[in-house]
Amino acid sequence: MSADASDLSLVRRVQRGDKGAFDALVLKYQHKLVKLVMRYVRNPAEAEDIAQEAFIKAYRALPQFRGDSAFYTWLYRIAINTAKNAVVSRDRSPIEYNIDRHDNDESYDMQGRMKDSETPEGLVLTDEIRTTVNAAIDALPEDLRTAIVLRELEGLSYEEIAAAMDCPVGTVRSRIFRAREAIDHRLREVFEGGLGRAEELG
Amino acid sequence: MSRARPNSGALLGLTLAWACTAALAEDAAGQAQATVPAATTPAQKKTSPALTPAQWLERMNHALTTRNYDGTFSHWHGGHVEMLRIIHRVQDGNVSERLVSLDGSGREFIRSGANLACYLPDRRTVLVEQRPPQESLVGFPAVDDQTASFYDIREVGRMRLNRRDTHVITVSPRDEYRYGYRLWIDASTAMPLKTQLCDAHGRIIEQVVFASLALPVRIADASFRPEVSTLGFRWLRTGTAAPLAPAAPATSAWNALRLPPGFRMSVRSAQVLPGSNQPVDHLVFTDGVASVSVFVETQTAAVAQAPRAQSAAVGSSSAFSTVVDGHKITAVGEVPLATVQFIATQVKAQDLVPAGVPQR
Amino acid sequence: MNEELDSQLSAMFDDQLPPAECELLARRLSRDEQLKARWGRYAVMGAVIRAERGVRLNAPLAGRVSAVLLAEPALGAQSLAGALPRRGLRWWQPVVAGALAAGVAAVSILWLRAEAPSSVASLSARLTTPAAASGASVIPASARERGGRADSYVVPPSPAVPAVVVPSTELANYVVAHSMFSSPVARRNLLSAFMTSEPAAAGAEEPPDDVKSAAQ
Repeated sequence: MSADASDLSLVRRVQRGDKGAFDALVLKYQHKLVKLVMRYVRNPAEAEDIAQEAFIKAYRALPQFRGDSAFYTWLYRIAINTAKNAVVSRDRSPIEYNIDRHDNDESYDMQGRMKDSETPEGLVLTDEIRTTVNAAIDALPEDLRTAIVLRELEGLSYEEIAAAMDCPVGTVRSRIFRAREAIDHRLREVFEGGLGRAEELG
Repeated sequence: MSRARPNSGALLGLTLAWACTAALAEDAAGQAQATVPAATTPAQKKTSPALTPAQWLERMNHALTTRNYDGTFSHWHGGHVEMLRIIHRVQDGNVSERLVSLDGSGREFIRSGANLACYLPDRRTVLVEQRPPQESLVGFPAVDDQTASFYDIREVGRMRLNRRDTHVITVSPRDEYRYGYRLWIDASTAMPLKTQLCDAHGRIIEQVVFASLALPVRIADASFRPEVSTLGFRWLRTGTAAPLAPAAPATSAWNALRLPPGFRMSVRSAQVLPGSNQPVDHLVFTDGVASVSVFVETQTAAVAQAPRAQSAAVGSSSAFSTVVDGHKITAVGEVPLATVQFIATQVKAQDLVPAGVPQR
Repeated sequence: MNEELDSQLSAMFDDQLPPAECELLARRLSRDEQLKARWGRYAVMGAVIRAERGVRLNAPLAGRVSAVLLAEPALGAQSLAGALPRRGLRWWQPVVAGALAAGVAAVSILWLRAEAPSSVASLSARLTTPAAASGASVIPASARERGGRADSYVVPPSPAVPAVVVPSTELANYVVAHSMFSSPVARRNLLSAFMTSEPAAAGAEEPPDDVKSAAQ
């Protein structure tokens, strides 16, 4: 099986007009891309902007992508170029709107990411997510934990993990899946809040 | 069945915060969402009460018409995006609002009480109009039991839109006479932070997204003055004497013989439009979500010269006009062209007193 | 939740699913929001395990990209799948023939065209008021080229602006009058479009000269 079959199947769908398939690619690679871009810009918000731009560029350039390289490799190159360009031409001035702010006002500002004075709820949530996932991993049975860590941290293929753990490939797949299930059980609550519980009613 | 698909990728938004109310919504098939319990975990900073989708729409309309707000938004249509600013104030029962194009035309629309002005710098023209003061919420489309026959209104989930918790409500048309909406309604203020207008096939035709929004307690009068200089502009006003009631009792009235399903007349009035002294009949038809105005101009030389049929689009809204018996009939509304055309061609003068019926 | 499906999802996420199954699952994934959400959470788990510090784990990045893509044309699509409506239709323009039902006469533009001097006169009479300001009449270049008459509109005299066909104030009036009876959202959209709409450039979207109103 092609190592890139997963991405290719999504890419082909996008090339045929399915924008939803591109969402899946973004979800999969967004953290890696932001991390990559942060080698060039320190500010996380700016890095996100650049990563966003890179994804859009990739979407537009997708008709020219033929699968000669892995999708992520191709995306990676676009992201680096975008980051370099952004660093070189830093004339991205956010649009400032003068709006009177009075007491008791409720307001929000999409450009407000540039202002670090307020504590963005996003960062609090990031910590909560991290804590939740780490706690869930700690609570895993050892074979599940080993499987998923070898996969995510070391990037080993199922075959390599099977060799390392001396078990069949099918078992590796099952262990990783069950590890994710266990983590997801707790993670969903963080993302969905109390509404996550509602599903149990229905 | 042609209707907007709530599951389309366009609703992805912040997928990671996708609530499983989506599953509930599908199951409930439009029933009240009252079974969704209020959020109680620490992850939810604010809780919002469980409302039906129709109630959310009502709250949203209420917020838009009664609250003070000042925001900028992008308006996307036809592949073009422009930024605008909107300022809205309700003070002592008086409504002031101002809509300004931030790029390109520099046009402004300002309403203050009964006065309404459109500043069109690129036409070097100002249109000024007086509206009757009692005309505030009369004739607004309002969702009622009938509406569900023509629209599928449901909440498809909760989403965080730039750190605001929103309810995503879809209003999907059940036929091709009307458009649908997807609305991201802020859970705490009920303001629509993002709005999409879709056709019956779910394709997005228009999108408005707020880039910044404030709800100030006070807004100064100066915020409602135009920025454009009107030196050398041509001013078109309504005639100062605006006789709305005809001298003799009307023996006939305009009405539509047939209407697209779900539409009913909600307002009948007459007015004088800027630049003219002729009164124009104005009928409003609505299906609870969309509304269509029909203007009937009585016979004048200009009407006699008017082309047989014309159509136009203003954003996603459509306009169609036709000439019948020396009257020019124009229908305008936030519906597809076929719908305004249908309505315009159905408008006829009807005798108010049918022959043979004794008058009291 | 279907366990087999989720197991496939997990394998596909790791690039360890056979190609044929990938095709099927890709199709489902693109349409199923819950599946996508789960996929997204798998990515988050990976990010935490790799301790990617400084990266926001619930960034709205995916949502923003998705939103921007809405305005992009779908790739490979023949038609404008991004729902781009009748382009260039602004003030009183003919609509593409298919949009009109049979039986309606061909539309013509309510413009002050030099070819129809009578309509020019009547329209000007209606729209000029006694208080009409300076209004130095500037003949639109197009009319000038055709040797037409001046009209009473004041056209921006800037030479950089291409000759424009002047819009109908009448439609503006209707739009504003109607807006008072729309729902608040529709009203805002309508007025926004009105604020940002542009007239068609002369010659760009005019109908061919042989389009005439059917004599009915």
